Amino acid sequence: MGAGIVGGVIFGPNGMSPRDFAHLALGSPVIGIGMVATWMLLFVPVARVIVRADAARYLRSLPSPRWPTVALGVAALVGFQWPWIALWFLGAGAIGVAVVALVTVLIAGVAWWRFAPPKTGALRWRGPVAALFGTYARGLRRRAADALMRCAGLAVLAGLAAGLFCRNNQLGSREAGVIAAAVIAVVLTPGWAGTLLPPLETHRDSAWLAASTGISEQTRRVALASIVVAIYLVTALVAALAALAIAPDGGAWIIALTVASAFGAAFVATRAMIRSEHSDAMAMRVVIGAIAASAVVVIALGALGAVGAVAVIALGVLAVGTA
Amino acid sequence: MICDVEALVVRRGGRTIVDRFSLAVDAGETVGVVGKNGCGKSTLVMAIAGVLAPTEGRIAIAGANVWGGARERMRARNALGYVPEAADPPGFLLGGELWAMCAAARGSEAPSPSLIEALGLDELRELALERMSLGQRRRACLGAALLGPPKLLVLDEPDNGLDSKRADALVLLIRAHAAAGNAAIVATHDRDLLERVGARSVALG
Repeated sequence: MGAGIVGGVIFGPNGMSPRDFAHLALGSPVIGIGMVATWMLLFVPVARVIVRADAARYLRSLPSPRWPTVALGVAALVGFQWPWIALWFLGAGAIGVAVVALVTVLIAGVAWWRFAPPKTGALRWRGPVAALFGTYARGLRRRAADALMRCAGLAVLAGLAAGLFCRNNQLGSREAGVIAAAVIAVVLTPGWAGTLLPPLETHRDSAWLAASTGISEQTRRVALASIVVAIYLVTALVAALAALAIAPDGGAWIIALTVASAFGAAFVATRAMIRSEHSDAMAMRVVIGAIAASAVVVIALGALGAVGAVAVIALGVLAVGTA
Repeated sequence: MICDVEALVVRRGGRTIVDRFSLAVDAGETVGVVGKNGCGKSTLVMAIAGVLAPTEGRIAIAGANVWGGARERMRARNALGYVPEAADPPGFLLGGELWAMCAAARGSEAPSPSLIEALGLDELRELALERMSLGQRRRACLGAALLGPPKLLVLDEPDNGLDSKRADALVLLIRAHAAAGNAAIVATHDRDLLERVGARSVALG
């Protein structure tokens, strides 16, 4: 989607024009639906803030007409979509504007929708680690569902990119594994970074509860590391399987090295999270931590080859242990 | 003695908030910590509850040092139930999940039927903490703090946001807790509450 917008709107008509992009989407239902779904995945979280405007609800108590607030909301909903609108307007004119209008209504509807509240039933956790892991997992699901979906989508893209890299360079299985793991670590970094903040916020917000109920600092760290490792492992596996679809010759090496280096990177990212728990710039430090973790993977695999994955794990364990 | 605070000093941001404070709380006793706004009541109870490390001094609950070695810390916290002033666990948790988490941490059972009845916890079980009013959040946290039940209950402004029915229930719960041979420390500016629970008042600052 980013390549389409940048390539079509900014650099078009050299190589790709917005018209090609729009006609491709209008001509093929699968591509059209894929494009709309991708845009919705990107824009619904922003639209949710604009449409619900929970933080501005108190403004309704002021003696002012309602329409300026509504108009501002509509303007924001349209204004923040300008790359998408430009792509469609330049590509398909009035039909493009109609498509954007329809999609915007759809996005507003999805953003407005509040899912049914979850149920707890007769919940019982066995021990503090399970309780904290369950709490962090709930935080991730309820606070970062959009980020998780984006991360999963990015994992598929990262895998496809890695697979293409391996296939087009006709790499052997071991080299393919090294290159695929490194490419996946780079492309998947924004996805990983986006999912790390909610667990860390849960970690920070539950600190007093843990401290007063006898959950040790070590147990808290184990629970946080577990949830980060789970995110990294699942998405790395998705990416590795997508890479195998393009470059089946990579076989077990692609899966083994991608998963192993993601395992180590998760620990490096966890260290950054632990160190930024009390920071005012927590979000920024978490993003930097995710980037640093991926950089460690690329450097280790680049310098040591397949053995680099083991080095990343060792470094990650050391990083968490000394956090 | 259930709680023993010796010469406690807490400094934060270069300022001494609690200065050589001592307190002994016996079984069956409720102690009210009173003082003007900003005198350090919340800081003191946070240190007693094991949330904020003191600069100097010693705090023991049921004979175990709250800020001692790992085992001592665990033993002290197993004998403790705490509700902070803001009553703000992670907002996405449902009431039932909060109790399950605290029960797992303490190795205790879910809230008893009498506790559910007294605090009206049933209506909070499936409700997210961020959707609760302050009074509802406080009731949910009280439910979590009373799991066990703990030997020492540490409450910071416990009647803030409670309606009169639940405030009455809170008084009965604190009295019953003390009558069962346990103890409570209540930080509040509400002297009427302390009178109703039969607390010994200790002034801070």
